[in-house]
Amino acid sequence: MKMTTRIAFDNMKYHKSRNILIGIAIVLTTMLLFVVPTVGRGMVKLQYAVTDRLYPAWHALYRNVDEDTARKLAAHHDISKVGLRGDAGYMSLDEASVGLLYVDETGMELYKMELAEGDFPKQEDEIVVSPGILNELGQQGDIGDRITVPYQIDRGGGLDYTQQKEFRICGFFEDSETNHEKRMYTALISEAFLKNEIPEDEIAYRFLFQISDADRPTTDEIEDRIEDIAGQFGIPEDDININEEYLEANYVDPSMLPILVLLMVIIVLAGVITVYSIYYVSMNQRIQEFGRMKAIGATKRQVRQIVLREGLCIAAFAVPAGLLIGTFISRAVMKVFVNFKGPEESSIYMDTGREIFEAGEVSLWCWWVYLLAAAVTVCTVYFSLVRPMHVAAKVSEVEAMRMQNAGRKQKSRRKGFEFLTIARLTRRNLTENKKKSAVTILAMAVTGVFLMVVATVLACADPKESANSSIVGQYEISPIVERGNKEHPEREWSEIQKDNPLNETLKQQIEALPGVEKVDVFSTAKISGGTFTEEEGESLNGIPPEYASELEKGITKGKVTYEELKSGDKVILDRALLHWHPELDVGDKLNLTIRDGERTFEKEVEIAAIGNYGSGMTNYNYLIMAKEAVDRMSEYNSSKFFHVFADKDYDPALEKELMELVNASGRIQMQTWQDMFEQWNSFTPLTAGACYAFLGILAAISVMNLINTMINSVHVRKKELGMLQAIGMSDSQLMKMLQLEGLFYTAGTLVISVGLGSLAGYPVFLYARESGLMEIRNYHYPVTAAVAVSAVLLLLQIVLAVGIGRSVRKNTLIERIRFSE
Amino acid sequence: MKMDSSKILAVEDLVKYYGAGENLVRAVDHTSLQIERGAFTAIVGRSGSGKSTLLHLIGGLDRPDEGKVWIEGKDIFSLKDDRLAEFRRKKIGFIFQDYNLIPSLNVWENIVLPLGLDNRRVKREDVREVLEKIGLADKAETMPNALSGGQKQRTAIARALVTHPAIILADEPTGNLDSQTELEVMSLMKNCVEDFGQTLVMITHDETIAQMADRVIEIADGKVVSD
Repeated sequence: MKMTTRIAFDNMKYHKSRNILIGIAIVLTTMLLFVVPTVGRGMVKLQYAVTDRLYPAWHALYRNVDEDTARKLAAHHDISKVGLRGDAGYMSLDEASVGLLYVDETGMELYKMELAEGDFPKQEDEIVVSPGILNELGQQGDIGDRITVPYQIDRGGGLDYTQQKEFRICGFFEDSETNHEKRMYTALISEAFLKNEIPEDEIAYRFLFQISDADRPTTDEIEDRIEDIAGQFGIPEDDININEEYLEANYVDPSMLPILVLLMVIIVLAGVITVYSIYYVSMNQRIQEFGRMKAIGATKRQVRQIVLREGLCIAAFAVPAGLLIGTFISRAVMKVFVNFKGPEESSIYMDTGREIFEAGEVSLWCWWVYLLAAAVTVCTVYFSLVRPMHVAAKVSEVEAMRMQNAGRKQKSRRKGFEFLTIARLTRRNLTENKKKSAVTILAMAVTGVFLMVVATVLACADPKESANSSIVGQYEISPIVERGNKEHPEREWSEIQKDNPLNETLKQQIEALPGVEKVDVFSTAKISGGTFTEEEGESLNGIPPEYASELEKGITKGKVTYEELKSGDKVILDRALLHWHPELDVGDKLNLTIRDGERTFEKEVEIAAIGNYGSGMTNYNYLIMAKEAVDRMSEYNSSKFFHVFADKDYDPALEKELMELVNASGRIQMQTWQDMFEQWNSFTPLTAGACYAFLGILAAISVMNLINTMINSVHVRKKELGMLQAIGMSDSQLMKMLQLEGLFYTAGTLVISVGLGSLAGYPVFLYARESGLMEIRNYHYPVTAAVAVSAVLLLLQIVLAVGIGRSVRKNTLIERIRFSE
Repeated sequence: MKMDSSKILAVEDLVKYYGAGENLVRAVDHTSLQIERGAFTAIVGRSGSGKSTLLHLIGGLDRPDEGKVWIEGKDIFSLKDDRLAEFRRKKIGFIFQDYNLIPSLNVWENIVLPLGLDNRRVKREDVREVLEKIGLADKAETMPNALSGGQKQRTAIARALVTHPAIILADEPTGNLDSQTELEVMSLMKNCVEDFGQTLVMITHDETIAQMADRVIEIADGKVVSD
């Protein structure tokens, strides 16, 4: 072994306690560096596996493509696989929804649809059904049997009158759980049937395809090509549907990388700061050691090598340990994520994920993540050592040998205290080592500030408030509106207006229910024209006067009062609309076509202000007016929402009674606050848990720092402390002094973490609110986090002081007085 | 043990061994002695004779295996650690070979430190008087790193004197000094002890220095061999 390595190795053993701390910091750093990309990659891989299983395999589909264009598209050199789908309409059933589709064979493959038995329909009267469909139809049959199917053909966006036809079953699909649960099914019909029912020039095919991927393009490149081809064939943007989930699952998504890199940079920073500051703080103590080495002939390069190799020796033990622990932790973390009970809608997704994970189909660990974590940690250790290496090499042999505190300039005179107390003694020691104290506090405070900022965002993401923001009141009742269904013309808004189920009788019925406090009515007017197309289904949102102050408070640009909104010439625009119509601004005039019943008329309104409101208030209708102005525009009842306020957020008895009203009407639907709350409530703790776990480990890394500083300050002063005790400092006075010193670090860290963290948290909250993150609306000070940070720091400090005091007393007074190394 | 009121210190059958078996060191081996109030006593012996251990035991810095030490009639080892520390700061002044000043405190602060630990009020005049006496009146604000060896030791002497202890224990106080300074420091110590009427017990391996004392006790292998 080379001499420098030998010395480095011996040094590592000699400075055991400090190196254990560095070792722990490196273990934790390695572990995080391993766990973050492993879990990140694992989640993505699992998501991809789920997507692969659940989503169709087409990269994109073009809607409304005629047969001729489809033929030409299929010949395009960038397109590798093509499928065709034509939607004929729906079976005419009251409760269930059964689509009638024609899909060609490649289309079936791209949709991952497989027949359980039988063949594809060829003849005009052939059909593929499922047991579930037969059940919904109330009929029975096997392959070759005939069934009678009532159906409505889809004509230009609306459903035609019901017809009946006898079909021969040629094949069967299997039903999934979702099919049964949602009562949604697909039946396959032949091309001949499609062409027979719909004139050839009116058939709007969906053209499904995959882009040839010989050169493994990224998702962005594929999307560009899809849009490019659409451009060449004059297919409008609205008719492109890109299968982003599938693309992301199978191609590299460039947006994933920066997040992982950012997290890893944060970890590396925490590691560098900690390891560096541990070295920095202990350097003084070792100046003499390096001075002696130089005195007996070590060159600067050799001293640098000794410091570097000592660090690397620790890493040689700590990195494998970190990787090993990380291997177990990442599996545990994945398990927590996978077993998380999500909101109902995504449960199939989550269930499939759980299934795939438990079956071990997704391998979590991969060699390059191990290599990456190890390499990044070694680099972290190297970066932290650059400065200590430099300092050690610069030590002057004479200075170091002669002076006890060599390498540090000291004042030769200083005004002092006239008399001393324990507190003053502590102050002297701390001010004497200002830089060291500052490094320790700052290194810890960086993590503290970061923690407080994240805690602020999480504190603001209160599931209760998010629910409050997503729904006004505890129950929201609205009519069932459907466009273009000829079988249900009464569901057209124009028809609902004429006989609106949200009438005074219903309102009174609801108000009479026990527990109901009030019912607020929001009305609506359908608009188009200006920048809004008919398809967007944009509306004017009529808000009652009770919400005047809330409306005015939400304004972020421009100025308008509720009184002015009553005129009907002015609107507030919710800023969410700017996402689709960024060209709109305060002062713009909109020429709207307002549809009321069968009648339409033009109206010019001015955008008087832009505001920021919760989705409960807007219900995704972003032009806001006073209710009375909206009501004036209509000859009919334009009530769109009953917002029911109850005395309790959740009252099963009331919900049941309301549900009875809803079911009795058959024309209205209800959303509850409780559902929203549960949705948010299941989401927030998981996010918070993951964030806090990550931050907790970061905090643990930086705590190594505090431990080192405290141990070091005692170690360096062992003789001094012995001296103080020889001249009469009692054990309790010594403990008090050590505690005061620790308290200073704790208080310093606390003030900066909680103070600066609280200040920095506010702009981050503002950003989160602006960008609509987690429906955050109100600022909440993260009290729990602040208290937890304080409590942990205080506790830690007490434990440390006790531990250190005990370790000091382990040596007898005489040993301490004699101690000189 | 009955203690004569003229005696300030009594050591009775003191034993302190280190190690075991072949490595057993009898640092202090059944030693007894008494010291008169106001006397200047030198304990001499070769290196390893056990004189430092004896001094540390007398000062309550270490606890014996057997035996007792009385200072002003108090059995010091009957005291618990905290009480013993308190006793030390009130009744005993220490002067060490390597001065043991606190590097972050200036001369004045180093001197008043034992008073601070004892929550005693600092009488400015008293401290100034001591400073005058040791010839460091103009160095009150100087930090230890800017002092010479002799000045450091004089500061340590002042620190030992300022609490008016019952007894001052000096462990080779001139061991790190050149002969000129050695003499200066010794005279200073002797004068102070006389002026302030204090008892001084000093250990040294230097026979000439020992001759300045009123009484010389010789120690060898942990035992008193001559008095």
